[in-house]
Amino acid sequence: MILVKYFGAIAERTKSQGEEFSFSDLPLSDLLLALEQKYQLGQLSFSVAVNQKMLQDATDYRLKSNDIIALLPPFAGG
Amino acid sequence: METTRYNRQIILPEVGTIGQQKLQQAKILIIGAGGLGAAVLPYLAAAGIGEIGIIDDDRIEVTNLQRQVIYKNSAVGKSKVLEAKAMALALNPSIKINAITEKLDSKNAISLFSQYDIMVDATDNLNTKYLINDACCVTNKPFVYGSVYKFQGQVSVFNYKNGPTYRCLFPEESVQVGNCNDAGVMGISVGIIGMFQANEVLKIVLEIGEVIHGKLLVYNMLNNEQQMFGFSKSDAATMDESAFEKKYAVSENTDSEIAAVTALEQMHHPEVVFLDVRNFDEYPKITIVNTIQIPLDTLEKEYRQLETNATVFVFCQSGIRSKKAAEILRNNNFRNVKSIAGGAIALDKIDTYKVLETLQD
Repeated sequence: MILVKYFGAIAERTKSQGEEFSFSDLPLSDLLLALEQKYQLGQLSFSVAVNQKMLQDATDYRLKSNDIIALLPPFAGG
Repeated sequence: METTRYNRQIILPEVGTIGQQKLQQAKILIIGAGGLGAAVLPYLAAAGIGEIGIIDDDRIEVTNLQRQVIYKNSAVGKSKVLEAKAMALALNPSIKINAITEKLDSKNAISLFSQYDIMVDATDNLNTKYLINDACCVTNKPFVYGSVYKFQGQVSVFNYKNGPTYRCLFPEESVQVGNCNDAGVMGISVGIIGMFQANEVLKIVLEIGEVIHGKLLVYNMLNNEQQMFGFSKSDAATMDESAFEKKYAVSENTDSEIAAVTALEQMHHPEVVFLDVRNFDEYPKITIVNTIQIPLDTLEKEYRQLETNATVFVFCQSGIRSKKAAEILRNNNFRNVKSIAGGAIALDKIDTYKVLETLQD
């Protein structure tokens, strides 16, 4: 399984704090693309963390079983 | 030094009289006197930070009072920073408070930051956060970041001892996210996040504990979940004095912006082209004659659709991406490029027919 956690405006768009996906040996970018299409995330900017570490480049990461992915947008309120 | 006032913290071994002296010698700048600033300021003042600057050009509105709890109902309409200064000095007259009734911009940021040790981000918009980040990099000062989205908050200290910066965490600048006015917020939420920020300031000054640097703390007020995400320094995000000057000389040049109504008045001029740099799925659709849509992402490849001698009025949703687009065009020898302030949202509010009727009269 892979757990994807959503924060801020992303969680609002997906209407959940997170969801689980059955694991398949995929590049992270495929998962992100699927989520972007499913939830129309196109205009929302976010950084991606894998197992609590931000990735500088999400393009070449391959998902492993039990990975926890977090989609973190910047917040602006104050 | 007055010690009776600070007795309850001086008796902590982590503080002591030496720690209290460090607090007294510290100079902290709080950028923004809204919800976060109103939480940070009284605690830093009470703890005996020797000099606190607070910058904001806003006035108090009645809708501020549910979260900006240092202001009195009777102060509605008055300057936030002047009221904040009076509050802080009433609490602790032995410190110095500098109330700066200005807006932070690229012209005052560097000289202002040079006068302080630590900058506290208590702002409510991303543009200013990038500006604070960049000016902190140039002046080599730590940047105590705090931000709220509804019931969630983020805290981190950027550029701490040359560590990673805001741009290492969020490299993309052309994004739009809601602030408290648009998204809604409880006073408690900004209070909690402001308290985390004040705590970071005190830890940095006292040199105790672990400063949240190279990590982003995300706090959820509804389930009390607290998570940390590590991030590292990115080479792409470096900012020095010449990079700062280059970046802000263009993007904050007021001549490079045009008001939506002024742009619309020129819509029938033969040399004027409106360039929509939003993606094709963005609303409201703007139907002005001579509009070409080239999303920002593809502009570098596609700008040749435009004539370099045309007068190009660029717009996006709210006027941020369009500034970038205008920069791209200028770098490719376009001379008359202006970004429409407020973008499609501003254009959409204007009744085009009325503008044209006024012109005909």
